[in-house]
Amino acid sequence: MEEYDVPSAASILASVKEQEARFERLTRALEEERRNVSLQLERGSLPSDRLVGGTTGGSNQPLAWQQMVMQEQSPSNQTSLAMMQEPQEVVEETVTIEEDPGTPTSHVSVVTSDDGTTRRTETKDNVTNMKVTKMVKTVTTRTVRQVPLGPDGLPLPEGSSPLGSYTDSIDRRYMKNGERFITPQATSTLTRSYNNYSDSYNDAPDSQFRHYTLHDGYGDMADNYGSLSRGVNYRPYRPYMPTGGYRPENSYTLPIRKDDYGHVAQPQVPMGSSTMDLNRSQPERFQPEPYGLEDDRRSLGPDDEEPYDLEPDYSTANRRTLPGRTIREPLRNGPRMRGYEDPIETELIDERHPYIHGMYPAPLAQPERGSLASLDRMGGRRSPSIDSIRKDPRWRDPDLPEVIAMLGHPIDPVKSNAAAYLQHLCYENDKIKKDVRQLKGIPVLVGLLDHPKAEVHRKACGALRNISYGKDHDNKVAIKSCDGIPALIRLLRKTNDMEVRELITGTLWNLSSYEPLKMVIINHGLQTMTNEVIIPHSGWEHEPNEDSKPRDAEWTTVFKNTSGCLRNVSSDGAEARRRLRECEGLVDALLHALQSAVGKKDMDNKSVENCVCVMRNLSYHVHKEIPGAEKFQDPSALQGPGSAGTQRKKKDDAGCFGGKKAKGRKNGEHDKNYDTLDLPKRTEPTKGFELLYQPEVVRLYLSLLTESQNFNTLEAAAGALQNLSAGQWTWSNYIRATVRKEKGLPILVELLRSDSDKVVRAVAIALRNLSIDRRNKDLIGSYAMRDLVSNLPSGQQRPAKNLEEDTVVAILNTIHEIIIESSENARSLITAQAIDKLVAINRTSQSARETKAASHVLQTVWSYKELRNALTKDGWNKTHFQPIPTGTPKGSRSCKPGYDDTTLPLMEKNQDGYSTIDQRDKESKYKSSDGSSDLQEREPLKNDTNRKHYIRSNRPTVSLVDACDVKPQPVDSWV
Amino acid sequence: MLTQRIEIHKLWDGDNLILGFSIGGGIDQDPSQNPFSEDKADKGIYVTRVSKGGPAEVAGLRLGDKIMQVNGWDMTMVTHDQARKKLTKKNEDVVRLLVTRRSLEDAVRQSMMQH
Repeated sequence: MEEYDVPSAASILASVKEQEARFERLTRALEEERRNVSLQLERGSLPSDRLVGGTTGGSNQPLAWQQMVMQEQSPSNQTSLAMMQEPQEVVEETVTIEEDPGTPTSHVSVVTSDDGTTRRTETKDNVTNMKVTKMVKTVTTRTVRQVPLGPDGLPLPEGSSPLGSYTDSIDRRYMKNGERFITPQATSTLTRSYNNYSDSYNDAPDSQFRHYTLHDGYGDMADNYGSLSRGVNYRPYRPYMPTGGYRPENSYTLPIRKDDYGHVAQPQVPMGSSTMDLNRSQPERFQPEPYGLEDDRRSLGPDDEEPYDLEPDYSTANRRTLPGRTIREPLRNGPRMRGYEDPIETELIDERHPYIHGMYPAPLAQPERGSLASLDRMGGRRSPSIDSIRKDPRWRDPDLPEVIAMLGHPIDPVKSNAAAYLQHLCYENDKIKKDVRQLKGIPVLVGLLDHPKAEVHRKACGALRNISYGKDHDNKVAIKSCDGIPALIRLLRKTNDMEVRELITGTLWNLSSYEPLKMVIINHGLQTMTNEVIIPHSGWEHEPNEDSKPRDAEWTTVFKNTSGCLRNVSSDGAEARRRLRECEGLVDALLHALQSAVGKKDMDNKSVENCVCVMRNLSYHVHKEIPGAEKFQDPSALQGPGSAGTQRKKKDDAGCFGGKKAKGRKNGEHDKNYDTLDLPKRTEPTKGFELLYQPEVVRLYLSLLTESQNFNTLEAAAGALQNLSAGQWTWSNYIRATVRKEKGLPILVELLRSDSDKVVRAVAIALRNLSIDRRNKDLIGSYAMRDLVSNLPSGQQRPAKNLEEDTVVAILNTIHEIIIESSENARSLITAQAIDKLVAINRTSQSARETKAASHVLQTVWSYKELRNALTKDGWNKTHFQPIPTGTPKGSRSCKPGYDDTTLPLMEKNQDGYSTIDQRDKESKYKSSDGSSDLQEREPLKNDTNRKHYIRSNRPTVSLVDACDVKPQPVDSWV
Repeated sequence: MLTQRIEIHKLWDGDNLILGFSIGGGIDQDPSQNPFSEDKADKGIYVTRVSKGGPAEVAGLRLGDKIMQVNGWDMTMVTHDQARKKLTKKNEDVVRLLVTRRSLEDAVRQSMMQH
């Protein structure tokens, strides 16, 4: 660097002349390349002239370029350019151009005039032609600086080669731009230059993919590269290309992978073009070389193709060796070894290869090369037309083993890019996921979760999230087997980066869908997820400040993911429920979040759905599983009046209490205000799992049932009430009465008209449990019978809703429950024209369960002698009410009709009925249409805004009336 | 705007004649919540879901299509339920739709954005 200034133009010129010969060759090659490029690129037409003249024909550079240049020209840019010099020769050129003419053409001409710079200009042109205008520009700048370096004597020998040309250009630049370049040494500045580039590159078409890869960890790389000199510079180019705005470092890694990413690599190409470009630019010539290099490629993978590009860097490096070497060496060590080992016949090639190899570890080298080489590609890829043109055998994407190998690369950006590429590859591709697993890529990714660099662990996590998504549980197991779950939790504790947190929780959500992993997640992550995500995002505060308003919940993606994970794990049986209930702050926070949702009338989102589902699951069997629950068991209540059915008596030993007795007791209760119920006295405010069954929650669930349009939320809220109203203990008595007092029965009855099968089912079962309360039974019998009956299929004709068997059975069982011990309700049933349907089901249903359930109802109806008259009048006779002696064994029916365990409603019978519900959701028929259904597993590669979000499939046809008044909810009807 | 005629033959699914897609929108609905409309004041009827392999899909109906007519009936100024009823007439085995759909370009652009 120091020497640059000293050499002065004269010395530079001398060296330039020597190099001219070489330059000419290069220029010719470049010309060819340019032509190709120009063809590819719409702009390309311009370059040909330049090439021929040797003097750069200031081709028309795209406006963008000019603008870019302008940016670079700014003082900071210049410094940066100086810094860049080593690495980004191209860049410098652009700068000069700008200075001179301001317009691209002028650039070219100016350059030429100065010294033998014409060649340089050409390069510039090439670059510009390449279409990567920015890229091109950068290249030039670098050349200029490099040139000075060469003269200094550092890498002079090499300089004679392509480098020499650069030096020439540099001289020229110095001449013209000399003022600016006075402070060229900017090794330190490299970063700046990168930044500038990045800005300019933003325009780059590749945008998305590149961005991903590039962003990660590149910042770190940049510094190193700067020291590295040219080689470094190239890297920056690549980054620019691919990422657009990304830091050069990224580009480094990217280039190698570029093949994989396509985009990334391409950006690099332009870089390469600057130094090596000439050589490289001539695809034909260079191509052979890469092929020859294939051996290297194997080791390096994608690099082979790109080595050429790298070469330029190396050449520069040599020249600059003194300045850059110190830095470079560390990086190069690995790669250089290889490069050196593989001697390249061609001078240029030789230089390049060594550089490539030496500079970067195999993987890195590849990327860089890719970047350089990618110039060609870049153009091609960016513009489809180019792509077609450039189906170079040289360029190829790294194969999967190579990508996985890159995960272990010593250079961080390589790691992060490899991980990002994996994430990309795995997106919605089960085959790749499987391959990654079989290639042992998952443990490596998990290992990267503990990597200190955010870019690395973020990308690794992104890859894991995509891998963990899907039905292939082996991938989930593989993540678990290498301790991925504790690693994820560790990272969750450690990071404050929202994006990383989203990825972590998304991965956990995915993992949580596999039963055997649920307990593992609970063991490792329950409290952490609660403390790190659920509590803070719910707005709940342990010790709320009395002065401040309670905070509202924030429906962040992290919260949604975490609540989804908890929702899944909460269905893993009694032990899981116990752990969740006893998890400090969890129930409190979930309740707070839901109350906040009700308060804000924002109840349709996925987070609310998840919270309600967790609450429902935790409410399941609460009367049996809560510590000290036995204290609240109410033996007298054990047999609700309604439940006192004969079958029930058989089942329950508790049945010793006469039905009448229970009845009487219950009746007494009705008249009491529930306040007078003998509730346990508490001296402290309720907290933790006790909140699950406090009467306050009834209002919350009823609000959700009234307001929400989300079927899953509706189902879960109804399911929660169903769970809480099951069982015989003090609290369930209280809940049942509270639902009535809060006018919840009409709300539930109304939901019987829902078009959602599962909502109807959950509501029907809830009504059944609620009717354990005698007064509820009377009310339900009077007001709900018609809606219950209307959900039954009539004969072979299913109602419009076409409810599933489970739902029909649930409704039949609820009807049965309601008419037991209530001839009034049985009369309502007859009035509701139910006998027709019941007889039809009994005789014609294809479902044995439906037949059985209908039969029970009919038998019960017939058992009321006072009703037989009316029935006979309607044309029915005893045979209609007797079990059909078909193939179905009567015996079983007579013994225990269906699910008549009143105390333990259907839900309880299917143990984990709740968990089942979750799973049902996943498998629900809506799933296909609506990706957002219950599947927690999303594979948003890049952004979480999946279109899936937009599909409100979950609510097929909501015909809920109430919801309409304020804001008509989007209705969605199947036709 | 591209318009297209699509003829869907209803299919018996159990005891129901179905078309295999779902609709959203209507003048009684909140148009701002329609994820498919370009103009968020558009109260038209849109195809919100298409069941895989169903009659609608077979006929070429696509997610996000805006239904302009059903058997000649205007669908741009109807309530959601009116649209549903026009589509589900029991005595009609065939439904002819006139739909518009955003240009292919748009679709491509959108899909690229999502990547």
